[in-house]
Amino acid sequence: MSRIELTNLRKEYGNVVAVNDLNLTIEDGEFIVLVGPSGCGKTTTLRMIAGFEDPTAGEIRLDGSIVNDLEPRDRDLGMVFQSHALFPHKNVADNIVFGLRMQKVGKEEQRRKMHEVAELVRISHLLAKMPGQCSGGESQRIALARTLVTEPSNFLLDEPLSSLDAKLRRELRAECDRLHEQLQKTFVYVTHDQEEAMTLADRIVVMDAGEIVQMGSPIDIYSNPVSYFVADFFGNPAMNLIEGEFVQNGSAEFRSDSFTVSLPEKYKDISPGKGTFGIRPENVQVSKANGGDTRNIGLVEPLGKDTLLYFETAAERPFVAIVEGTESHSSGEPVELSFPGDNMFLFDGTGDRIRA
Amino acid sequence: MSMTMTQKRNVFSVFRYFVLTIWLLIVAFPIFWMVSTSFKPDREWFSWPPVYITENATLQNYLTVWTDFNEYSTNEETKELGQYTQSLQRPWEALGNSTLIAGIATLLAVLFGSVLAYGVSRHQILSEKRMFQLLMLRMVPPIVLIAPISLWYRQIGLLDSIPGLVILYFLTSLPYAVWMSKSFIDEVPREMEHAAEILGASRWRTIWEVVLPLVRSGLVATFLFILILTWSEYLLALLLSKTDVLTLPIELSKYQGSTEGRVYGRQAALSVGITIPLVFVGLLIRKHLARGFSFGMVRR
Repeated sequence: MSRIELTNLRKEYGNVVAVNDLNLTIEDGEFIVLVGPSGCGKTTTLRMIAGFEDPTAGEIRLDGSIVNDLEPRDRDLGMVFQSHALFPHKNVADNIVFGLRMQKVGKEEQRRKMHEVAELVRISHLLAKMPGQCSGGESQRIALARTLVTEPSNFLLDEPLSSLDAKLRRELRAECDRLHEQLQKTFVYVTHDQEEAMTLADRIVVMDAGEIVQMGSPIDIYSNPVSYFVADFFGNPAMNLIEGEFVQNGSAEFRSDSFTVSLPEKYKDISPGKGTFGIRPENVQVSKANGGDTRNIGLVEPLGKDTLLYFETAAERPFVAIVEGTESHSSGEPVELSFPGDNMFLFDGTGDRIRA
Repeated sequence: MSMTMTQKRNVFSVFRYFVLTIWLLIVAFPIFWMVSTSFKPDREWFSWPPVYITENATLQNYLTVWTDFNEYSTNEETKELGQYTQSLQRPWEALGNSTLIAGIATLLAVLFGSVLAYGVSRHQILSEKRMFQLLMLRMVPPIVLIAPISLWYRQIGLLDSIPGLVILYFLTSLPYAVWMSKSFIDEVPREMEHAAEILGASRWRTIWEVVLPLVRSGLVATFLFILILTWSEYLLALLLSKTDVLTLPIELSKYQGSTEGRVYGRQAALSVGITIPLVFVGLLIRKHLARGFSFGMVRR
């Protein structure tokens, strides 16, 4: 049983508030991902849990007892760093047993556990090497092994994959998932990569400017964003977000330089003013020109299973639609776009979601 | 006519080696001249055209400087010189003093300097401004400090004493020690220490097992750098201690007189003797030096 509770956690650097009265309870065995753009306070939060930063105010509880004043080593945590932070002057085996040596585990036991964990993350062939001789992916596996071997109740992972290339990242992401399944320990994972957050998390905590903006399961965050910020952050390609204004002109409408959309019945009482209209590329319906309002396809990007269609708009960002890869389209072709009312997202001038 | 890239590269390479060779000759020549002169008999010291490698090699200079310094020279021609220098020369005592003073001062400077540097690097115990002030301390010409320090030293009885010079050398090399070792400590990523700490290591354990092994080469390089400075320091030694406590550079300066001029052969022989300990220390720690002076030993 291990539960991490953060109560009114706050961190200030001079006049800058890095973490603003954060409240979060992480349940035993949960895989939680803190995600947000750089500077949002996610890493500072993690470092406060680890004990490398003292909170300005607030409490950190592990298993119900306050640990604010405990040294990192007394908190029953393991941590994996972005830079791997392997000891370059010790070979891989010595790196792995470092934690066990600090815990004064017997030599025999050390060896047994080291081989066990090396097996688990598939680095048995590297034990005699120096970290400098290992690749980035191997280094991160070694860093994982070094943490796993001490059997902490909670794992903190600070952007562990962001220094690796895309293919390795996917591979090690799966590895993280597998380890979590196998160990059933609490994982707190920090990343700025929405895709990592979506694929790994039991629960995503979206942070911005030191505060939690939304918390929920990946699918909940994806299909029900609370604000422009969250809507824009999750999804690849990103949600189409068009700045414009809402008008009441007999019926409720959204108007921008590029689009005029009549809003469904549930938004009939929308208050006029500036706002944003959003729709995910996969929800845009593309049909052959049929006497309605047409626009010309710009770039066509076939990805195999899907094809991305780009449309020029008055805004800087092109409008994107995803269609089946089997449909054939060509650049310059006129098509009609329609937006199903259930998949529209509307945001007011401050970026908050407008709900019907 | 245009050259291919390879040709251009070759021309550049030849040019580079040419320049480096000239530079090497310029730097190495005084050392060669020192060694060469130390084996010359006295009539060749000033001869023209100069004798580069003597055919009458003799150990007389070494014997006079290092062993017969209390005897009159057997050579009639230099009898006068021998008389002049005889009573003042104490090379072995100077060697002992220099070893003691430079050794202790350098050790202290590196020890305190690196601890201070760790505090600055990790906990900002000195602001950037203070760090610069520390370095400015080195910019002060030593000569302006001599008067107040010698007055003060006389009062507290440190004038012409070994502790007096040790303290002064320690203080004047501390800025170098702090700045140099800080540059090495800065290279050890903070995360590496955090990794050790969260794996259960205490602060001291972390410094001992993680930081120290990574900065060892740098500290050794710092040690040698400061040792060279203190070993050959002349001005402070001359003015703060000349009668009781004699160091090697002072001893060296005594082989010249107002009428006789420089006694080159003897000075050269003494110089060789002064240089050898430094070369020896350099050889002992050479595997650290290449890494230490390249300022980039931590692979991330």
